[in-house]
Amino acid sequence: MDIRLTLQWLFSLLLLCGSLSLAAQTSVSGTLTDQETGDPLIGASILAVGTSTGTVTDFDGTYTLQVPEGVEQLRFSYTGYATVTEDIGGRTTIDLALTAGELLEEVVVVGYGAVKKDDLTGSVNTIQEETFNQGAIVSPTNLIAGKVAGVNISTGDGNPGEGPTVRIRGGTSINASNNPLYVVDGVPLAEGGVAGSRNILNFLNPDDIASMTVLKDASAAAIYGSRGANGVILITTKKGQSGAPSISYRGEATISSVIDRNQALDADAFRDVVTFAAPDRLGTLGNANTNWFDQLTRTAYGTQHNLSVSGGGETNTYRLSAGYQSLEGVIRGAETERISLNLNLTQNLFDDKLTIAASIKGANENNLYDPGVIGASLAFDPTQPVLDPQNVTFAGYNEYGVSLAPRNPISATEQIESTGRSYRGLGNLDLGYDFDDLIPGLSYKAIVGFDVSSGQQDYFEPSTYATVATNTYDGLIRITNATRTSKLFDTYFTYEREFGTQRASLQLGYSYQDFNFEQPVLEGRDLETDAFGTANPGVAEDIRSFNTVVPNRLISFFGRLNYNIDERYLITASLRRDGSSRFGESNRYGLFPSAAIAWRILQEDFAAGLGNTFSDLKLRFGYGVTGNQEIGDFRYLPTYQFGDQRVQYQFGDRFVSTVRPNAYDEALKWEETTSLNLGVDFGFFNNRLSGILEFYEKTTDDLLFTVNVPAGTNLSDRVLTNIGSLENRGVELTLTGIVYDTEDFGLDLTGNVSYNQGEITQLDGSGSADIQVGGIEGAVGNTAQILRVGEAPFSFYLYEHLTGPDGRPLRDGVDHNDDGEINNLDIYADTNGDGVLNDQDLRVIEQRAPDMLFGLTANGYYRNFTFGFTFRGTAGNYVYNNAASNGGYLGRVDLGANYVTNLHPSAVYTRFERPQYFSDYYLENGSFLRLDNVSLGYDFGGLANDAFTLRLYATAQNLFILTNYSGNDPEGETGIDNAPFPRARIFTVGARIGL
Amino acid sequence: MYSRLPLFLLFLSFTACTDLELEPPDRLNPATVFSQEENYEALVARLYAGLAVTGQAGPTGASDIASLDEGFSNYIRVLYKLQELPTEEAVIAWGDVGLPELIFQSWTSDNQFVRAMYYRIFFQVSLANEFLRETTSERLDSRGIREGFRPTVNRQRAEARFLRALSYWHGIDMFGDIIFFTEADEIGGTPPGVRSRAEVFQFLVEELAAIEADLPEAGTAEYGRADRGALYMLQAKLFQNAEVYTGTARHTEATTALESLFDSEAYALAENYRDLFGADNDQFDELIFTVNFDGDRTQSFGGLTFLTHAPVGGAMDPADYGINGGWFGLRTSPEFVALFPDVTGDADERAIFFTEGQSLEVNNISEFTQGYAVPKFTNITSSGVAGSDPGFADTDFPLFRLADAYLMYAESVLRGGGGSRERALELVNELRQRAYNGTGGNITEEELTLDFILDERARELYWECHRRTDRIRFGAFSTEGTWAWKGGVQEGRTTSAIYNLFPIPSSELLSNPNLTQNEGY
Repeated sequence: MDIRLTLQWLFSLLLLCGSLSLAAQTSVSGTLTDQETGDPLIGASILAVGTSTGTVTDFDGTYTLQVPEGVEQLRFSYTGYATVTEDIGGRTTIDLALTAGELLEEVVVVGYGAVKKDDLTGSVNTIQEETFNQGAIVSPTNLIAGKVAGVNISTGDGNPGEGPTVRIRGGTSINASNNPLYVVDGVPLAEGGVAGSRNILNFLNPDDIASMTVLKDASAAAIYGSRGANGVILITTKKGQSGAPSISYRGEATISSVIDRNQALDADAFRDVVTFAAPDRLGTLGNANTNWFDQLTRTAYGTQHNLSVSGGGETNTYRLSAGYQSLEGVIRGAETERISLNLNLTQNLFDDKLTIAASIKGANENNLYDPGVIGASLAFDPTQPVLDPQNVTFAGYNEYGVSLAPRNPISATEQIESTGRSYRGLGNLDLGYDFDDLIPGLSYKAIVGFDVSSGQQDYFEPSTYATVATNTYDGLIRITNATRTSKLFDTYFTYEREFGTQRASLQLGYSYQDFNFEQPVLEGRDLETDAFGTANPGVAEDIRSFNTVVPNRLISFFGRLNYNIDERYLITASLRRDGSSRFGESNRYGLFPSAAIAWRILQEDFAAGLGNTFSDLKLRFGYGVTGNQEIGDFRYLPTYQFGDQRVQYQFGDRFVSTVRPNAYDEALKWEETTSLNLGVDFGFFNNRLSGILEFYEKTTDDLLFTVNVPAGTNLSDRVLTNIGSLENRGVELTLTGIVYDTEDFGLDLTGNVSYNQGEITQLDGSGSADIQVGGIEGAVGNTAQILRVGEAPFSFYLYEHLTGPDGRPLRDGVDHNDDGEINNLDIYADTNGDGVLNDQDLRVIEQRAPDMLFGLTANGYYRNFTFGFTFRGTAGNYVYNNAASNGGYLGRVDLGANYVTNLHPSAVYTRFERPQYFSDYYLENGSFLRLDNVSLGYDFGGLANDAFTLRLYATAQNLFILTNYSGNDPEGETGIDNAPFPRARIFTVGARIGL
Repeated sequence: MYSRLPLFLLFLSFTACTDLELEPPDRLNPATVFSQEENYEALVARLYAGLAVTGQAGPTGASDIASLDEGFSNYIRVLYKLQELPTEEAVIAWGDVGLPELIFQSWTSDNQFVRAMYYRIFFQVSLANEFLRETTSERLDSRGIREGFRPTVNRQRAEARFLRALSYWHGIDMFGDIIFFTEADEIGGTPPGVRSRAEVFQFLVEELAAIEADLPEAGTAEYGRADRGALYMLQAKLFQNAEVYTGTARHTEATTALESLFDSEAYALAENYRDLFGADNDQFDELIFTVNFDGDRTQSFGGLTFLTHAPVGGAMDPADYGINGGWFGLRTSPEFVALFPDVTGDADERAIFFTEGQSLEVNNISEFTQGYAVPKFTNITSSGVAGSDPGFADTDFPLFRLADAYLMYAESVLRGGGGSRERALELVNELRQRAYNGTGGNITEEELTLDFILDERARELYWECHRRTDRIRFGAFSTEGTWAWKGGVQEGRTTSAIYNLFPIPSSELLSNPNLTQNEGY
């Protein structure tokens, strides 16, 4: 659908909402109380039936409503209580006591629809807004970090706005994506973002999110077929509530500080080391004391403002919100800013037969990127000053001007301009129609959606920047534009029938989603002047341009059957057939079935006696097949690629362009993950203590690997091919306890612990191949990890470093074994005992993924105070400290002729002469426990005669971490720590005002 | 009205698009590529460029092979590493995995440089096969290529076959028995079978004879393209090493091929030795077949970018060599320096050493300042001007040049391949006169021995990717001859004869069951 038309349509709908609330005639007031306790009900809704006029009760439970003419009834509703509709009958005072009826049955969104929580058969966890993480959160998935068992949400570094890595029950793939599928209000998002945006979910303002639901097992995720293998996260945004307009404002200010864990020597320590290790280089040292890391970092600030208006009438609701967030990074030069708008409308027509829901989300994201010079700050000589006013070549910054020498990080920070801005609009229109009249139980739903993001990233290096001045160009401009669009059309019928005590619901549907990605890049080198930044690429002598265009498409049919027998046995079966343009004709379509059964034991007659102890007991078993198609495009198709202007070839006096055939695998198909899940849901003592225990096993077959193919059988040495299998097994336990639940004091605790172990069961067809992975910095081709059958994916593969009597790793350059030769046998274990130390002696030592994840969340109140915290932790994950291995040897001082290089402090301890990249000394246990989040709030309730409500709160994020890891931060998916952007400690204060 | 709505919706649901045939808008399918005449030259250019660049974006990007970092795996760069590092001509400071093992002659089947060479070779063969497969006369007919264009295609096919032969030669020279496949073997087929070194040798002899008529006469092709001159050199290389490859010497045929080359009178020695390795070396008639680089238009981090940057470091000023910075890598051994009468180049101008701040001895291979630096290849023109881009050299790599042919001829004569001893002496002394700027370095007939040839080839052709092959032909590579760091010790020691061949990379052994590993690995 044309976007403009949609907007016009929505706009007129909005006007309609406004026009419905007109003149008032009579006034009705009263008090609402709880039937049992007599306590006033605060915030209950009162609606004049047939209009959109309504109000809510104040803090005494009282209300006053101007009732429009012609209205004869009022409807009183309150969450958790039975709704009452009363005839006004000329009264001006209506007091009511509402009954705390059965709690409203909780409904959980699943793919293509929703089911009652009791009817769930799969492994599905929903986190509601109330328990989201607090604080300065840019990327929505951080809202549920630590909250769901088996879901590892870890932020790779401290970049503001950086999206975290999300892994549900371990990765199922090696080469294809391991990211879950995100579905926002029914629209599945394309994998991958655009230039200028830091994360694909950053367009969503966390304040607009009502709930996030994680589909963990395949019986739940199989309805998303070829995109479900890594689980699915369904994000539901807030909708309006019927009643008078309610306006809410939230404002926050944050301050972030860096946590320095000393990854480089200070100036005095460095002078001592040079004196000891390379005395002939003392002359190279300067007289300054520069802490480059301190120079690079700062105390950073941020603000956030959110304003929302929501309300609605009898047949319609609306919610409109606007948000602004800006957050600086603790590294100078890094910043993110978001302006977001979100509009949700619903309208029921034709006696509620036709339901229309429309949603438009728009965001503008602006980013400043730091030039990524933390490594340089650890390497640059701390005895040198930042500035060297005589050095005009480098704009007065102190630089060596030698190509292999470290670069001045401050010069980079202050001279390089790297910015991004992106715009994203996601809209969807849902139409539902109830055909009960025609065929009882039949309904229809269609979703039309679009998702457009467009971004630009500008990069500018002036000619006075050192990399430039000593490299191949004199000033650089790079402008990257990107547009990613997706169009969605989903349609499905639902048919529901009851047969006595049995209920059935059948869904059949079709889905079409079309994606396109386009990224033109303009690069200009050798600038006539630095005056224009990226604004005028015309000043570049050497202009290059590139473009990438990638379309792809998914067409699917799906069906699902839910069957409920006597409320005891619940059966769900689904089948999806996906067609993808990413695969060749013979493998273009895939079938993804699932089946699950649940047994609600308490419903059985024999379990009647258990009812006193148990409030819930459900046994679930599920099976399902999901796929992974995130492998890139056109890899099955023979294509020819034109070379750019730098790969021409000289024939005589001419330069001829080149064309090359690309490698391809015609037989490429999806990775298929088959999973089994066994779960128990239980609750004791009226759900005072409840929990979920789950066991699962996932097997991924046809694993896509880029493997060495026999030379001569393809047009490259390594081709992406379906080879290999991977297994993940795990256990998850979630426990929720209501510890206190009194009027003055309440405390809920939710803890989760999960165990997952991955294992590669097949590789390369041969069963014995190893693939070395996990490239480390220092020298080309060095790796620290391995893929090997029988081991966890990305296990570390290193030498065992021998330890001396002083407990230190043996230093190199000494003939420790007295064999007359100085070689690696002196310091590493000859594990195969052949008297030679070579790659045969490398050993698999530990793995990068955690065995266990922990999360502990508390939410509570004491009178008007509210508080909460989230602890998050891992165990069994190891980290290779590449910052230490690359910087921790004395010989590094003396790498070049006219400069010295700073060391990692471990060099002073190990006294290694040469880098020991493959030493297990650098492999450290990365288990940690982090206090992710602590918050404290105070509810002032109604102020100024209930004109408004006020809540003040404060949050601290990343307050402390307990870990034995010596490097900067043990978190990070790769398990290889290269001194990333340090994670900040963030304090936030905020206020929420309601009108 | 509502009763029709479900029907309408049903209609909507099942008439929606089901088309999943998408094509990449920024690439071409084979049918389109081969229906346009101009693409044929672009494909042939890519075959040549396979020796110079590493992917479809310069200097890196859209890489050809993925087993090793793009720049590291450049054809000429890995050829250099395998042909020069295991000999006395070069040492390198870097600690990249597998690199010191090349110097020590202790490589294993996991060596990433050996692996890169292997895949580069067969990538070239695959690329040539693809071109040959798509340009048969039936294919040309089906793509509507006009008659008038067919002779051009014929010549291009001969060039593709020449380049395939060149890489197959590198294959048998370094790996012995190798996989063998031609345009008859389709993409995605079964793993190719293995042919013995002698069988592939025989194929190459016949193949070169078969394409001779389709290649332009010696010296008549555009610079950079193969003609019969290049073909004669490749024939001579094969025959000269025939004993190593097949057990049977073929020196007479080597002499014949070289005589055909001389008889063409298409080539002449350049006046100054140094000019042959500078930024404008494309102007010299001494070069018979080159791999062409250009600072602006043919960029990679291998080839001449490597050969001009890696030998610079220490007290050397990068600007003197037309580059933007040294890489502190390559130097040479004291044994190589000793081949020259003096290190200054005053006597023999081929002694191009940088000695300031450099020690002669190499106590530590990782220390750039140990061992004399060798700035033989530069990005400076014969008139002293820097090349077009200090980051990427303009200099071309002389794969075959006339001086090599002179020394090959002399060797062939000495090994009983016929020809004239007088002419051999004359040719060798022509090289000596250029080197000594006069007759002061001339040798007598008695001095013209095989031992002299081995040394003279080092003096004349060092760092030009001949040394390993030469030493093996002279029986002086592994079990004979010592120099610094051979065998992993500073004083040098002999190694096993297994190192006369490189191992088949373990990744390839695993994926192709037809292969057996070379002895000793």
